[in-house]
Amino acid sequence: MSRTVATFALAALILLSVGLWAISGGMTGSKEEIGMLAIGLILVGFGVYRGFERVRSAVRKEPYEDELSRRTRTKSASLSYYISLYLWLFIMFMSDRTTMENHTLIGAGIGGMAIIFLGSWIWVKAFGLKDE
Amino acid sequence: MNNRLKELRARKGLSQLELAQKVGVRRETIVFLEKGKYNPSLKLAHDVAKVFGEPIENIFLFDDEAAH
Repeated sequence: MSRTVATFALAALILLSVGLWAISGGMTGSKEEIGMLAIGLILVGFGVYRGFERVRSAVRKEPYEDELSRRTRTKSASLSYYISLYLWLFIMFMSDRTTMENHTLIGAGIGGMAIIFLGSWIWVKAFGLKDE
Repeated sequence: MNNRLKELRARKGLSQLELAQKVGVRRETIVFLEKGKYNPSLKLAHDVAKVFGEPIENIFLFDDEAAH
C-alpha cells in the first residue's frame, strides 16, 4: 500500500512542480521544452495508471505481482535496453550536428529511454510472451 | 501450445477471477493463458491442473508441429 501512495504522491509532486514552473514564467514555449513536458506527462500518466492497477488488485484481493507481470517487466526492460543503445548512438551522432546543449541531449536521452521502456511494455502486453 | 482452460473453467463454473485467486495469480494472467499469449511456468500449470483435478497434459496441449 505504501508503494501505491508513493506512486500517487510522486505523480502529484511532478505535476505541481511543472505547474508552478509554468505559472512563474519559467517556460519559454520552445520546442525542446514542450517535448520534455510531453514526455514528462506521458510518464506521469503511466505512473498513475500503474498506481490504479495496484488499487484494483488490492480491491480484487489478488497479488499485485505474479509470474506474468514479473516476466513482462523483465522482457520490457531487456527489449528497451537494446533499443536504447540505438537511441544513444543517434544522440552521439546528432551531438556534433545540433546547437542543443549537452544537458538537453542527456535529458532527451533519459526521457527517450523511459518512453522506449513504456513502448516495450505496451508491446509485450499487446502481443504476449507465448514464445518465451 | 494450446490449452483447454476456458472449457474446463466453464465446466466447473469458475470465473477468471475465482480461478486466479485459487492459483494465486492476477486475473490478467488467466486472460493471457486463455488467449494463448502466455505459456505458464511448471508451478502454475501444476496448480491449475490441481484445481481441475486433471493431469497437466490434458489441460495444456503441446503442439509438436508448431514447435518445429
